[in-house]
Amino acid sequence: MENGGIELHIPDGFIPISQCIIYYVILIVALYFSVKWARSNLDEKRIPLLAVLAAGIFAIMSMNMPIPFGTSGHMVGGALVAIVFLAPEAAVIVFTVVLLIQALIFGDGGITALGANVLNMAIIGGFVGLYTFKYLKGIIGKYPAAGVAAWLATVLAALACAIEMAIAGTFPANVGIPSMVLYHFFIGIIEAVLTVIVLIALDKFRPDLLAWNNETKGDA
Amino acid sequence: MVDITQIMRFDDLASKDSPIHNLEGRVKLIFTLLIILVCVMSKELFIPLTLEIILLIILKIAKLSYWDSAKRLLMLLPFGGAIIIFQPFIQPGNIIWSYSWINVTDGGLNWAILLLVRMIVCLTAIIIYSSTTPLQEMASSFRKLKMPRDLAMILSIMVRFLFLFVDELAAIRKSQKSRNFTIHGKNTPYKWRVKQVGYTIGMMFLKAYEQGERVHKSMVSRGFSDTSEMFNEKKSPEKSDYLFIITIIIIVIILEIILFKYGGQLGYFGQNLSIN
Repeated sequence: MENGGIELHIPDGFIPISQCIIYYVILIVALYFSVKWARSNLDEKRIPLLAVLAAGIFAIMSMNMPIPFGTSGHMVGGALVAIVFLAPEAAVIVFTVVLLIQALIFGDGGITALGANVLNMAIIGGFVGLYTFKYLKGIIGKYPAAGVAAWLATVLAALACAIEMAIAGTFPANVGIPSMVLYHFFIGIIEAVLTVIVLIALDKFRPDLLAWNNETKGDA
Repeated sequence: MVDITQIMRFDDLASKDSPIHNLEGRVKLIFTLLIILVCVMSKELFIPLTLEIILLIILKIAKLSYWDSAKRLLMLLPFGGAIIIFQPFIQPGNIIWSYSWINVTDGGLNWAILLLVRMIVCLTAIIIYSSTTPLQEMASSFRKLKMPRDLAMILSIMVRFLFLFVDELAAIRKSQKSRNFTIHGKNTPYKWRVKQVGYTIGMMFLKAYEQGERVHKSMVSRGFSDTSEMFNEKKSPEKSDYLFIITIIIIVIILEIILFKYGGQLGYFGQNLSIN
């Protein structure tokens, strides 16, 4: 079975326009701060770096990840990008362009639902991922913290998706929330494991890419 | 999820020649957004179904295959489709069919039909757009429509590199296949398989990041700075572009008027099927 797994792309027509506008306003505010962050933290490097990274994330999002019981899913990576840069802003920029292109070329996720989709996968995914990581890092160590962060980001993104559908009236909360959360409760574990493996690999081959290493150097 | 390696084929399709292909990029983008917006706002079937007929005519003018487009549409339905299938059973309304504890309501069934029609029309519009517009043209349309500079630049560089990573993905799949690696292969431990997928994703991430750094260096060495602007090909819409978009707007207005004045006579097609 090809489909299933992390599927949080809300299509067009499932959320009424009035609510789409609210999610778009959130997206525009988030983008404003994200672009500002990128200007001051990544200098002129921001444009090529985030652009090519977005192209890579696009490919990563379509790699199949093994899920028991014979299904496969796809990694999202919102928490991963936020943790690598230690900034959810990076995830917001990367995922806005990725989801825009996914919607326009593949019809995967709607154009009118773009605000909601970025909110779930990048804003909620990135913020929850990063701040859970930051909070737990000192308590349980950075890799377990990154794992828990990626898991929680996935579950809360799914919860947000279910709540948005419930507000839209498309999927009642009593059915939508338990099914989405329960499903992603398990899928999130794979996302967590993959996030940790990627971080370990990055730390091994290019430790300078991880913002947390530069932060320690700066502090010392 | 669609197989992204298909992107090469879409771009091939997009560089063909037809009256729709030749429309200006912004016109096609605005047309697509307009159709989607009208469709999402429709609470009855009349307008979306009429728009679908118009889209099918446009599909023909664009010399696109009905069969291929239908196949693409079917592949896009799963996530939305899964939610639509549940609607007749979970939405309130008069029970029209029941079997033990399963009830089908008229309200739920109508809502499911509306959602499905909306989804099909929106996806048809997207299929036409992506099959007639090369990626670069898409990115430059956003730039010309005044997307903020940073985002517009990121978007246009991203689409340039998309093909590189799609190629990379295809190469990874090929090499995995030639080694008999499948994510569900029972001959290897599950943990090992997850690890391999993790490494592959890590490698892809690293490649993307390093490529980004290299692109930055090569851009800087060619004089790129924070104030650099991207080259904007000056191409203004022609008469045919205006004619096309105005025709579509007029059709939409006429449809809205018909619905407003004669909605009652359209029967089921004029009925409000929405639940929100």
